[in-house]
Amino acid sequence: MITLTDYLLLGAILFCLSVAGIFINRKNVIILLMSIELMLLAVNFNFIAFSAFMNDTAGQIFVFFILTVAAAESAIGLAILVVLFRNRQTINVTDLDTMRG
Amino acid sequence: MGFEKFLFYVFAIVLIFAAVRVITVRNSVHAALFLVLAFFNSAALWMLLQAEFLAITLVLVYVGAVMVLFLFVVMMLDINLAPLREGFIKYLPVGAAVGLIIVVEMGLVEVHSRLFAAEQYHLIQQPAGYSNTKVLGEALYTVYVYPFEIAAVILLVAIIAAIALTMRKRPETTKYQDPAQQVLVKRGDRIRLVKMPAEKKL
Amino acid sequence: METILTLTLILAKIVAIVAPLMLAVAYLTYAERKIIGYMQVRIGPNRVGPKGWLQPIADAVKLMVKEIIIPSGANRFLFILAPILSIGPALAAWAVIPFGKGMVLANLDAGLLYLLALTSLGVYGVIISGWASNSKYAFLGAMRSAAQIVSYEIAMGFALVGVLMAAGSLNLQDIVLKQQGGLLHWFWLPLLPLFVVYFIAGVAETNRAPFDVAEGESEIVAGFHVEYSGMTFAVFFLAEYANMVLISALASTLFLGGWLSPFEGIPVLGEPGLIWFVLKMAIFLFLFLWFRATFPRYRYDQIMRLGWKVFIPVTLVWIGVLGLAILFRVGPWFA
Repeated sequence: MITLTDYLLLGAILFCLSVAGIFINRKNVIILLMSIELMLLAVNFNFIAFSAFMNDTAGQIFVFFILTVAAAESAIGLAILVVLFRNRQTINVTDLDTMRG
Repeated sequence: MGFEKFLFYVFAIVLIFAAVRVITVRNSVHAALFLVLAFFNSAALWMLLQAEFLAITLVLVYVGAVMVLFLFVVMMLDINLAPLREGFIKYLPVGAAVGLIIVVEMGLVEVHSRLFAAEQYHLIQQPAGYSNTKVLGEALYTVYVYPFEIAAVILLVAIIAAIALTMRKRPETTKYQDPAQQVLVKRGDRIRLVKMPAEKKL
Repeated sequence: METILTLTLILAKIVAIVAPLMLAVAYLTYAERKIIGYMQVRIGPNRVGPKGWLQPIADAVKLMVKEIIIPSGANRFLFILAPILSIGPALAAWAVIPFGKGMVLANLDAGLLYLLALTSLGVYGVIISGWASNSKYAFLGAMRSAAQIVSYEIAMGFALVGVLMAAGSLNLQDIVLKQQGGLLHWFWLPLLPLFVVYFIAGVAETNRAPFDVAEGESEIVAGFHVEYSGMTFAVFFLAEYANMVLISALASTLFLGGWLSPFEGIPVLGEPGLIWFVLKMAIFLFLFLWFRATFPRYRYDQIMRLGWKVFIPVTLVWIGVLGLAILFRVGPWFA
């Protein structure tokens, strides 16, 4: 029997992996974007688990919206990345220091 | 251990493995492919919760579109990977420690809190003839119709923004075809028949 | 015990679908060479067996015994994985296609969505093969194909939205049953623009002529599968033809009433439905081959323009029209 805790723990582990991913890959924008996707996925896990175990569709509707917004986010993120690479020939975060502040 | 539980563990283990590889692998293309694997396993896990609409949507939207976009960008940009890996080892302990602390804390809350006690909630077995898609659709187009419209607008804005950001003006000298004009062309526009006397025989 | 029985039954059904499909694919290659041959006033293959009927088998044997060459700079794992990824979705999609009333492997509620998701996965085989081959031409082919398939996916998705609006269901069996009543009740008539867009987008999705820029043998030699040989190449080949058969099956299910007979009510002509289904598929497959023999290849930017500036607006407008038609219960379809 799958329990709610199983899914919540899985979500927690995924979330932490993506946080760790942001920490250790802080120079590579692409991996950072992927880590964010992974983080949203972990959140979605919790929503769907709660929705399925408590018989409430609201959680799944929320996941639907998260998917929409995440798709929009990654599209714009990749567009910015392409423009950035075109102008600077790099996607290294540490090189993006023209506006020192 | 039931069959479903067994499936859960298989998918969960592959999912965690894929997630670990996404953040540790050297090559961004491999990272993107591992992310695809992670999405697939998530879809399977959601299927186990009878959320089939979202599971298929996840495959359709993420695996079918967003990750193709990721792969496209990662492959097209000729990225020098070496400087991007700098500091990977340096930040590894911090990253691992923070991740571990969060997971332990969350785990403790989730395992010990009474709110999430396992015996309290059971996976709801939906009756035969239950359609997840139908239920979601009915909720989306009635109760959540305004958020739904807003989500549509967000997507529209994202499309326009992505195009506006990446569009390059072609130089003025670029020549275009105009198929309509090509079709409308008459014989007289292209050739001129000239009458001239035949040359005399030598 | 009961689980084993169910599993065996499912396995038997899968074999019953895949084996004829593979045979159809093999003879589709033969039909292609023959038909295009006659269209170009040639005879086509006629040496192996009577009238060349054994040609596909000879080809299969040849490809199986050939060596699989893996380029030295290639990523071995991904290089081998790519053909599998391209044929997997093409076969998996058949799970939800109804061959007759109740004759379907998995009667999924969200069948149409499942199909859309699976057809969008085919691009991975192309992208990964292009990247893993470590070759310029393969990579160019992969990039072209990725952008092309993602673009046409949208037009295709909108065409399917029209079908689901007209049928009021995502289940393929329900969609077919909604089209009952004969030739004029099928969805091709009320959804004519979507039908045309769907089929042309299908041709583009399968990377067939005139949209075969991913292969483009005259520009980028063979595109994404330039480095493949032997069985790995054969699997790509199979996947392409299996996808053609799939698109034909889908077009006949969604727009031409699937297994329904055009002469409904006349008892002899209606049965069995499978024959009508195969006939309809054959028409679409013939169109695929006819296109290849007739049209020159599109230029890449023209393909993109066609997808984004013609097909997507057409489908969007027609979805609006369709909404109105359903609202006012037009004709025999939405009454």
